[in-house]
Amino acid sequence: MHLLSLLIFTPILVGLLALFIPSRFVNTFRIISLGVSIAQIIILIQILFQYQYTAGFQLAEKLPWISLDLGSIGLLQAEYFVALDGLSLSMVALSVGIFLIAIISSWTIEKNRKGYFILLLILNGAIIGSFCALDFLLFYVFFEFMLLPMYFLIGIWGGAKREYASIKFFLYTLLGSILILIVIVALYLSFQTPESGERIVHTFNVLSMYNMENLIPNSLLSLDSTNVLGPYSFRLWAFLLLLIGFMIKLPAVPLHTWLPDAHVEAPTPISVILAALLLKFGGYGLLRFAYPIFPDAAIHFSWLVGLIGLVSIIYGALNALSAKDLKRMIAYSSVSHMGFVLLGIASGTVAGITGAVYQMFSHGIISAMLFVIAGVLYDRTHDRLINNYSGLSSKMKNYTAFVLIAFFASMGLPGFAGFMGEVMIFLGAFQSQTINGLVPHWMAITATLGLLLSAAYYLWTIQRMFYGPFSLKNSTVELTDLNSREYTMLLPLALAAIIFGVLPQLLLNFINPFAGDFVNVLFQNLLTH
Amino acid sequence: MTDTNSSVSLWLTLGVVGIPLASFIACFFINQKFGWLAPIIGSVLVLFSFLCAVSLLFVLSPESQDAFYTSWPWFSINDKIIHASLLIDGTASSMLFVVSLVSLLVHLFSIGYMAEDQNQIRYFAMLGFFTFAMLGLVISSNLLVTFCFWELVGFSSYRLIGHWQEKPAAAKAATKAFIINKVGDLGYLIGLMILWTQIGTFEISNSTLTGISPSWLTAAGLCIFIGVVAKSAQFPLFNWLPDAMEGPTPVSALIHAATMVAAGVFLLIRFAPIFTNDALTIIAITGVLTAVVGALGALFQYDIKKILAYSTVSQLGFMVMAIGAGAAQGGYLHLLHHAFFKAGLFLSAGAIIHAMHQAYHHNELDVQDIRNLGGLRKKLPVTFISFAIFAAALSGLPFTSGFVSKELILTQMTTWAGSEFSFRWIIVGSAWVVTALTPIYALRLVWFIFFAKPKREHPIKEVPVIMRFPLIVLAIGSFAMITSLNPFHFSSAISALVRSSLNTSIIILLLSTVVILLALTVAYYFYRNQKLTHEQKYLTPHYFLDTASDWLSQLTIQISLFTKTIDRGIDKVIHTITYLQVTLAHMIGWTDRNLVDGLVNGMAHSSKGIGSITRSLANGKIQSYLLWAMAGLTIFIFWILY
Repeated sequence: MHLLSLLIFTPILVGLLALFIPSRFVNTFRIISLGVSIAQIIILIQILFQYQYTAGFQLAEKLPWISLDLGSIGLLQAEYFVALDGLSLSMVALSVGIFLIAIISSWTIEKNRKGYFILLLILNGAIIGSFCALDFLLFYVFFEFMLLPMYFLIGIWGGAKREYASIKFFLYTLLGSILILIVIVALYLSFQTPESGERIVHTFNVLSMYNMENLIPNSLLSLDSTNVLGPYSFRLWAFLLLLIGFMIKLPAVPLHTWLPDAHVEAPTPISVILAALLLKFGGYGLLRFAYPIFPDAAIHFSWLVGLIGLVSIIYGALNALSAKDLKRMIAYSSVSHMGFVLLGIASGTVAGITGAVYQMFSHGIISAMLFVIAGVLYDRTHDRLINNYSGLSSKMKNYTAFVLIAFFASMGLPGFAGFMGEVMIFLGAFQSQTINGLVPHWMAITATLGLLLSAAYYLWTIQRMFYGPFSLKNSTVELTDLNSREYTMLLPLALAAIIFGVLPQLLLNFINPFAGDFVNVLFQNLLTH
Repeated sequence: MTDTNSSVSLWLTLGVVGIPLASFIACFFINQKFGWLAPIIGSVLVLFSFLCAVSLLFVLSPESQDAFYTSWPWFSINDKIIHASLLIDGTASSMLFVVSLVSLLVHLFSIGYMAEDQNQIRYFAMLGFFTFAMLGLVISSNLLVTFCFWELVGFSSYRLIGHWQEKPAAAKAATKAFIINKVGDLGYLIGLMILWTQIGTFEISNSTLTGISPSWLTAAGLCIFIGVVAKSAQFPLFNWLPDAMEGPTPVSALIHAATMVAAGVFLLIRFAPIFTNDALTIIAITGVLTAVVGALGALFQYDIKKILAYSTVSQLGFMVMAIGAGAAQGGYLHLLHHAFFKAGLFLSAGAIIHAMHQAYHHNELDVQDIRNLGGLRKKLPVTFISFAIFAAALSGLPFTSGFVSKELILTQMTTWAGSEFSFRWIIVGSAWVVTALTPIYALRLVWFIFFAKPKREHPIKEVPVIMRFPLIVLAIGSFAMITSLNPFHFSSAISALVRSSLNTSIIILLLSTVVILLALTVAYYFYRNQKLTHEQKYLTPHYFLDTASDWLSQLTIQISLFTKTIDRGIDKVIHTITYLQVTLAHMIGWTDRNLVDGLVNGMAHSSKGIGSITRSLANGKIQSYLLWAMAGLTIFIFWILY
């Protein structure tokens, strides 16, 4: 059974077919989307049954896709190659779950439902496709396909400054994608398939790129190439371009300024998808492409990557502290938490890598919860300014309980998933100087300040908005506690955060084989070359 | 240990720790209408937990000092497995007993104290959760698992200090407590990071610690100690504790006197192998400094709860100092005794506050200010007698439990000090100073509440039975018979600790009694006719620490505003690039329209021009046709001839 293709193309095909349904059948679109989401969950459960806890890729599907004879230039070949390993399965599982939450959150969208839900379905297919793709061109296609629906979703259904935010988001991330495309082309020209004999057959196949034996001698990116541009060889430049491209998505400071605007202006369900899924591509891209294909360059730049991670943690947290808008604060806290991922990746230790992937997964759950929380309040009062609220706890008791869960989970309280990811990252980052000399001790020690700052901005927000006597500025709305739709979103997320905090092995069974293999390959390539 | 004993111990342990968690969860399902159920369910469940703890003391054979150890794999990083391991030895079982007993008594007291509170469900839920987290901390023998419970205990403290959320002061105090504890947690985390790197495990024993260099071990120990400094309110991270008095008094009794703040001390005992001699020296110095500062602070406060808070700081410092100064057993014994009499002091203070609030409904009087109290011994007899017993235990008078543990500490410290003069003598000397100061502030407190002539007569009466009962139990527990002279069966784990220690020195015994009685006499004559004056800001130690921490908070906020400006700057750069791009596009557009298209248009124009010229030949005038024909013929003739 081609489970992965089913997972990827169900939403896309259903979305395209839905184009033929007249827009006056207003309720059908959201029901269809819900149906697709449930179908995806069933397929995912099937996948989980078939998956084995080993390293390496499973459930692979490989079909010839593009084969263009360009005459004297050669043969342009790309395959449809999708597969799953521990890393991508975690991300795919996260995507399926978050998509369901996003559908429930989108239930009350009024404007142009047909367009909205079709775009959402295409977005979903593109996201899952990107996580599964192991042909670099295929990955790029899906990757770009994510940007366009997001542009419209933010630009049409967003808040006051939506056009600015959406175009900023689109162009900024597109710039990153272009840089990645440059490297893809260079890689294509430098790699050959293992089967190519006399006549060199280039390949986009990422698995072939993991093996440096497949490098064409004297090509652009071969190890013995003497091509130098300024201070770095082409290989180092290629890694840097990939790094910058994925850093924009992460987002890492200083390439992060698109995120606060995009988050603040996007409608709640889109913020949820943006924070929970799209940001993960930064980490995913580094782990899937940049690091394994350029291990020498990765090790060369690891100090820099660690520093960028550290700066993101602290800078993001400080900015969150100064934020006046609730969604802006949560956006900056995402920047800070993704900084942890970068630090974990930079460490190059098993604990660090495992922690980075775990943090990506847990941040997905927790930030989804945070944005739903922000949405609950915004839906009632259309006001996101923290200082306009006081004493909400007395009016909305159950809401306060979920806010406490979300905030404390995000700041890394044990018992929630965020703690597991962060603790493993810290252990790995500190261990790095002793084991492989990549990340110094002081970076790990300084990064703990990020925990203190996140406690500070979350607790201060609780103190301002929820404690104290009740008052509501600029609004005469009668505040109601959570309704059942909001419960269906918040309760599963809270339970997931708790389950993955108390029983981390459930997820670690998938990540551990991947991380162990990853670190072996990273350093083994260094030794043999 | 036999198999049945093992499984019984396991179930009892799970019962002790798990039942309060059930109390927490149960509270989620109680409807607001049935709010009165929460105190009852909470108290009953904690009673069961306490009974399990008592049974555990019986099961673990008292004579042979059996210990029960088990572990489950929790999670793995690649091939390294981290276990959730628990160890019930004499230390743990006695602590379980004390924590569950104090929690039970606080639950019962709260039934009366919080009777008119609107949010009892939330209160008892958090009380249950706290009990669960504290008990989990006690049984854990894996440093990472302990850290998890450590933070959960901090979370419960945050929610309980801020129970009266509508009061801004309470909200601020809760945030402050959590943040300062978080600073300590960072240190603890760094210690964990060091241990992971050096030995790859969080199970601490002499065998797992072979192979780590002394300097790394000292570093790890000191980093973990930073966590203790925050949690157990040592100098300089104790300024959250006076503020934490904003919470309900039973909470102060349970968390900020008897148990949570004791968690740090418990950690020092439980994971003793981590702390090298160098680390212990620093621990001793920190402890003694805290003890002195705390005692001095208690001497100059006017709010009952703040006096008791400072007293707690001082006593915790005393315990920490003891552990650092070779008196670990004495320190631990003092921890257990302190839990009883300090909880008792706070609960009695709560009784006084409650009685005063019943009388003065409209808050026209600050009932916690000892200058407003006086002569209460006739109105609140049970409270008075219990309070006096607790104060006596605090001072360390003979026949109280405090006497036994203090004397043990002082004896062991004397051995530690050695016969040659060194800084150790200064530490021991300071310990004696604290021993003298404690009765002074204790007497001050007792005098001004119960004996001094009040400004006015207070129309109050004794508190209800449910609040008196815990006081009586704790008062009985503050007598020395409980732990040393009469080895009751259930507390022989405690007496075993005492028995294994050094012979108590008669000299120390007599000397400490003399010192205490002398101090009491001095205090009596000093305070007998004293009129209390205004508060002295500069005699309040936490004033200075608060100034420092406020300054740090302001600095952080300024830095965060600066980062906001940096972000705007980054955006300005992006906007500039965008504007440049748009300008470039406009320029290219201009070029396209005017030059490129201009060229095309130009060519069109010129062909139009040429066309009009050639067109002008066919103008219908026969004269011009003749002219052009003659011109053409002339040119043709010239061309033929040349």
